[in-house]
Amino acid sequence: MKKLILLLSTIVPALIGFSQSAAETALLKGTISDAANRSKLAGASVRISGTTNGTVADLNGQFTLYCPPGNASVVISFLGYRDTTLQVTLQQNQVTTLSVSLSSGVAQLGNVLITGFLQGQAKALTQQKNADNIRNIISSDQIGRFPDPNAAEALQRVPGVNIERDQGEGRYVLIRGLAPQFTNININGEQIPSPEADVRFVALDAIPSDQLASIEVSKTLTPDMDGDAVGGSVNLITRTAQNKFTHINGSLAGGYNNLTGKPNVQGQLQFDQRFGAREKLGVMINGNYYHNHLASDNWEYAPSDNELELRDYELVRTRTGLSSTIDYKFNDRHEIYFRSIYSRFTDREWRRRYVFIPEDDEIEKLMKDRFEAQSIASFNLGGKHNFRKFYLNYEGQYSQGRQNTPYDHEVGFIAGMPSSFDVTGGKYPVLNAAGFNDNSNYEFDEVAYGHTLAKDRNITAKFEIGIPYKTGRSSGTIKFGGKTRFKKKSYTINSEAYGSDGGVPEANGFDEDPIKDNGTILGGRFNMGRPVNVASFNRFFNQNPGLFELDVESKSIDEALESFQAEENVYAAFLMARHQLKKVLLVGGLRYERTNVKYNSKDVVIDPAGDLQEIIPVSGSSNYDFLLPQVQARFELGKMTNLRASAAYSYARPNFSEIIPAQEINREDEVATIGNANLKPTKSLNLDLMLEHYFGNVGIVSAGIFHKKLDDFIYRRVLFNSPYPLTGTPIIPAIDVIQAQNGNDANLTGVELAFQRKLDFLPGFLNKFSLYTNYTYTHSKANLQSRTADPSKPNEIKSLRLPGQATHVGNIALAFESKKLLVRLAANFNGEYLSEIGGEPAEDLYVKSRMQLDLSASYVINPRFRLFAEGLNLTNQPFESYMGSKNVISQREFYSWWMRFGLKFDLHAKK
Amino acid sequence: MKSIQLLLCGLLLLSAWSCDKKNDDLVMPNTGDNFPQVIRFDDEGDGDLEDADEFSFKLVLNDRSDASGENPGGKITPLKEDVTVLFEVKEKEGFNNLASYIKGVKAFYEIDDCTTSEDQGIDLDVIFDAATGKGSVSFPKDVEEVEVVFETDEDFFNDNVLNKDERSITMIVTAVQTSGAEKVTFNNALEFKYEVLDDEGVHGDWELDHEDATEFARFKALFGKVNEDIAGLDADDVDKIEISIEYNEVKVVVELKEMEEIDECDGPEMVNKVIELEADLEDLSTLTDEGEIEFVGEVEQPDGSIKEFVYKGEFKITSAGIELVLKGEYDDEETDKITLLLKK
Repeated sequence: MKKLILLLSTIVPALIGFSQSAAETALLKGTISDAANRSKLAGASVRISGTTNGTVADLNGQFTLYCPPGNASVVISFLGYRDTTLQVTLQQNQVTTLSVSLSSGVAQLGNVLITGFLQGQAKALTQQKNADNIRNIISSDQIGRFPDPNAAEALQRVPGVNIERDQGEGRYVLIRGLAPQFTNININGEQIPSPEADVRFVALDAIPSDQLASIEVSKTLTPDMDGDAVGGSVNLITRTAQNKFTHINGSLAGGYNNLTGKPNVQGQLQFDQRFGAREKLGVMINGNYYHNHLASDNWEYAPSDNELELRDYELVRTRTGLSSTIDYKFNDRHEIYFRSIYSRFTDREWRRRYVFIPEDDEIEKLMKDRFEAQSIASFNLGGKHNFRKFYLNYEGQYSQGRQNTPYDHEVGFIAGMPSSFDVTGGKYPVLNAAGFNDNSNYEFDEVAYGHTLAKDRNITAKFEIGIPYKTGRSSGTIKFGGKTRFKKKSYTINSEAYGSDGGVPEANGFDEDPIKDNGTILGGRFNMGRPVNVASFNRFFNQNPGLFELDVESKSIDEALESFQAEENVYAAFLMARHQLKKVLLVGGLRYERTNVKYNSKDVVIDPAGDLQEIIPVSGSSNYDFLLPQVQARFELGKMTNLRASAAYSYARPNFSEIIPAQEINREDEVATIGNANLKPTKSLNLDLMLEHYFGNVGIVSAGIFHKKLDDFIYRRVLFNSPYPLTGTPIIPAIDVIQAQNGNDANLTGVELAFQRKLDFLPGFLNKFSLYTNYTYTHSKANLQSRTADPSKPNEIKSLRLPGQATHVGNIALAFESKKLLVRLAANFNGEYLSEIGGEPAEDLYVKSRMQLDLSASYVINPRFRLFAEGLNLTNQPFESYMGSKNVISQREFYSWWMRFGLKFDLHAKK
Repeated sequence: MKSIQLLLCGLLLLSAWSCDKKNDDLVMPNTGDNFPQVIRFDDEGDGDLEDADEFSFKLVLNDRSDASGENPGGKITPLKEDVTVLFEVKEKEGFNNLASYIKGVKAFYEIDDCTTSEDQGIDLDVIFDAATGKGSVSFPKDVEEVEVVFETDEDFFNDNVLNKDERSITMIVTAVQTSGAEKVTFNNALEFKYEVLDDEGVHGDWELDHEDATEFARFKALFGKVNEDIAGLDADDVDKIEISIEYNEVKVVVELKEMEEIDECDGPEMVNKVIELEADLEDLSTLTDEGEIEFVGEVEQPDGSIKEFVYKGEFKITSAGIELVLKGEYDDEETDKITLLLKK
C-alpha cells in the first residue's frame, strides 16, 4: 500500500504538470434527446470532427468533453438516428452548452419511427457500441417491455447470463458459466452488501426491475472498477430527473397464478422534474409494489437414504421499492447528487411435506410456516466537478443488507407405517403407502422455532481525478483514484426445537381444509390430505407448555455453528489511461486492492459419544493484496463494426461461509468441518476477443471468445486422518478434516454469439418482425481432489467442470411490432450444470436444462397510455435435478404458468 | 399540477403502507425466556420388591439454556420463588385401601451429594391424604429437585405366591400454585407409576455359584465379550457374582475378594472391589415364572466413544432358582446361547 501511495504521489503531480503543459482547453457540455418524444439518448457518441477527441452521453443523455478552443465541428451519432453535425465556437476556459435533438433515420427504417421498444434497443446497443469495455446494456425501455418482475429475470436476456431460480423466479445471476460468487453486484457503481448470511453475492429477486433506469453487465474490467469480479460485474442504475417538465409515469397491473388460483397485483409510480429557471435542482422519486401468490408442487428423492419427499409450497411474495435521486447543478461545471434506494422483498412460505422412509417403516408429515424479509438500502452522496484542467468525481456510500427471518416454524409428526416407492420412471414416483394422508396415524415428533438475522453494512468512500491530454492528433485521459470500504457482517441465530414425552394430540388435532386443488399436487397424482395448521399447533403449544421440552443441546449447537461477526476493510487505488488513436481506443492501467479481514465465531466440539462437549469462541484474520494489470482495446473496423480485445486480471473473494473459522468437530462421526480464515481469493486472468457489427436499423451481430485461467480455485477438500487442530498441539490425533482450500487451478473457455435486428428485408407483413437471439457455449475444467482419494492417495486429482457452469445458455425471441402493437414470444434456455459436488460422483447434484417460454404484448392507446399483457412459463417447465446419473432424478418442481396485464402511463405536464 | 402531486404523494404513502403486510393466521410461540419453567416427574416409574418399606418420586425442573455458555448442553435453572405442587393418585391396581398401604409421607431435597434438607432440619411442606389420594409438596426456590417419599406397610403386599395381577399406584401432578412472579407450569401428561415387584417372580438378586467351574466358565463366556475384566477373571479372586433384575434395569455385579478404600460421605471405607455391568431392560415377562428377557447397555471405548451390547433370551423360575438362557451381541460379534443357573 505504501509503495502505491509513493507511486501515486510521484505520478500525480507529474500528470498535472503534463496536463498544464498541454494546450489550453475549453469545455463542451450538452444534452442529447430524441426530437420526437424528448427521450434522452443515453450512449450517444459525441466527437470533434477531424480529431480523435470524443465522448459518450451518460444515461441522462448528457456529455462533457474537454476540447481545444476555437471553431469545431461536433458530430453526434446514435444508432438508428441520422448523424447530426453542429458547428460551435469554443472559448478558452469557458463552458459551451449544447442541447441537441436527433431525428430518427426514417429512410433506413422504412418509415418506422424509433419509438418504444425499438428506441430501448437503440439506447442499449448504442451504449454497448460506444462503451470502452465489453458490456451489455438493458435500457429502462427494455426492462419495461419484457415480463421481468425483478433484476435477475431482466438479466437472463443478456448473452452469457443464466440464472438460478427460487419458486420459478430468478434469484442469482451466473455470468459466463461461473457461480454467483464470481460476479459482483453494484447499485449506481458501488457494490451492495448481501442480505444473506454466508455469501457475498446478492439475490437479485429483492430488487424490482421497475426501479432501474438501466442494467449494465460488464464482462471485462477497467482499472476504475472493483477488481473482485471474475465472471463479470453487474451495475444496476437508478433513475434521475431529466427535464423541467413534471414527469409522472407508472403502471398498474393485476394477474393470476394458475397453480394457486389467486391473483397478483403490481403497481409502480415515478415522479421526476427539474426545478428552477436553469433546471439546477432535479428530483426523482420512484415507488413500486408487487404482491404475488406463488406455489409449487415438488417431489424429491434422496438416493443415499432411499427417502422420498412430496412437497407442496405456497407463498405470498411481495417486493417493495423506493428510490430517489436529488441532484443539484451549481453551474455547468459542478454538481452534487444524493441517491437512495430501498428494496424490500418478503416471502411468507408454507411448506407441507411427507417424507417416506421405507427402511424405518416410518412416514413423516411436516408443515412449515416461515416469513423472510430481505432488504437492501443504499445512500450515495457524491459530486462531479469539471475544473479547467481536470475533473474530479467523488462519492460516499452507506449501504446495508438485512435478511430477517422473524419466524421459521416447522412442526413434524411421524407415523410408524410401511411404504415403498419407485422413482425409476423419472417423471413421477410410483408410491405405495396406503393411508399415508390419514392424519390420525401421525404422532407428534418435534416442533422447531427459529428466527435469524443477517446484517451486512458497507461504508464506502471513493474519488477519481481525470486529466485530459492531447498528443499530436490523438487525445486521451489519465485517470487515478482511490477507494476504501469498511464492511461489517454478522449473523445471529435463534433456534429452538421442542419434543414431548406425550400428551400432544395426533396430527388430526391440528389440521385444516386443503389450501389448493383439494389437497392434491403434481396434477392430482398425490393427495396430501388435510394439512396441519401451524398457527393451530402454536396455540396448543402456548396453552400447554408443560408438555414440551426444549432440546437445549441442539439449540446451543445450531446457534453457535453458523453465527459470526466479521469485519472486512478494503483499500484500493488505480491509475489508468484512456487513449484514442485514430480508430483505436486503448484503455489500460493498474488497480491495487488490499483487504484486511477479521472474524469471530465459535467452535462446536461433539464428543465421541455424540454429545455436545464444548463450544469455544474463536477468532481469525487474514490480509491479502492484489495488483491487477488490465488492458482493453477497441478497434473501429468500420463505422458500425468494432473489434474488441481485453486482457485483465481480477479475483473473487471467498464466501463468508468458507472463510469464517467456525467449526464442527464431530468425534462420533470422526469428521471435522472447519473454516479457513487463511483462504486466498481466486485469481483469474481473463482474455476476451469480440467482433461486433451494428445495424443502422437498430440491431447487432456479434461473436466473441473468452478464456479465463483461475488460480487458487477454492474447493472443498478432505484431509484424511489429519491431526486437529491443523496447526499447534493436536488435541485429536486423527480425524477427517473437511475444509475449503486453495491450490487447484481451473480453466474456462467460451464462445458468445448474438444476433438481433428488425427483419425489414422480408416482404410485406413479415418485415414488422424482429429477431432477438443469443447463445453462449462454455467449457470448463477444474482440477480437484479426487473423490476416490483416501489416506493412501490423498493427493489424487480429478478434473471436473466448474459448479454452476452450463455448457449451453441462450435466448431467442420473435417480436412483431407495428405502430400500436408489440407482441413478443421469448424463450430462455439454461443448459444443464453441476450444482453441488458430492462426496462421491454418485452424489454430484446436477440441474437439468430448462427452457422457459414467455409471451408479452403491448398496445399503445396514445403516447401517454399503453396496455400490456404478459404470460410466463407457458409450458409449465419444471425445475429438475439429478444425482450422479441422469437416471437418478432427485427433484422435479412445477410452478405452472402465471400472467399479468395492466396499464402503463407516461404523463408529461408543462410547468 | 398540485392535484397530480397530491395524487403522487397519496400513492407513495399507499405503497409504503402496503409493504407493512399483515401476517395472517400467525400465532407466535412463547419460546426463549417466555417459555415457562416446567416441573415434572423425574422418572415415569419405579418399582421395588414386595417388602419395601417406602417408595418415592422426584419432581424436577426441565433443563434450560445456560446464558453464561458454561453449560452448552443446558442446566436446571432453579426457581426464583417457592411454589406448591399438587399431586394425586390417579389409579391403583391390585388393591383398594390406600390408607392401609401408605402410612406416611415426607419430602426433602439434596443440598450436596452427602447432605439433604432433612439432614439440615429443613422441613418441606408436604401433605398426603391417603383417603382421597391427594397431596401437595413445596418446591422451594433455589432447588433443582424435590423427592417425595411415601412410607409404606412392608407386610401389605409381602406374600409367598407368584401374583398373576399387577399391583401398582399411578400418580399425576395436577397443579402448580405460584404467586405469579415467575412463569411456572407442569407436565400434566407424565405419570409416575410405582410397581410392586413380586419376589416370587423374576425380579430380585440372583447369585451365581462361581465355585462351580462350569457355571463360572459360562458366565465368563457370556459377559466376557463385553467386559475384559470379566473375561480375565479367576474364580479364586471372586467373592460373589450376582445378577440383579430390578425395575427396568439389570445389573451384573462381580464382587472381588480384593478390597479397596473408597470415599463415602461418612469418610473413607474399605469395600470389596466390584466389576459392574449395567443395562436397561428392553423386554421382560412379568407376573409369570417363565418368559422372555432382553437388556441393552453401553460400553465406553478407550477413545471415549460408546458401543452398545444386547443380551436376549429366556428365563425360567424353578424351585432351585432361575435358569437364564441368553445370547449376547457386541461389537458385531455374538456369543453362543448360554444357560446360567442362579439362586436367590
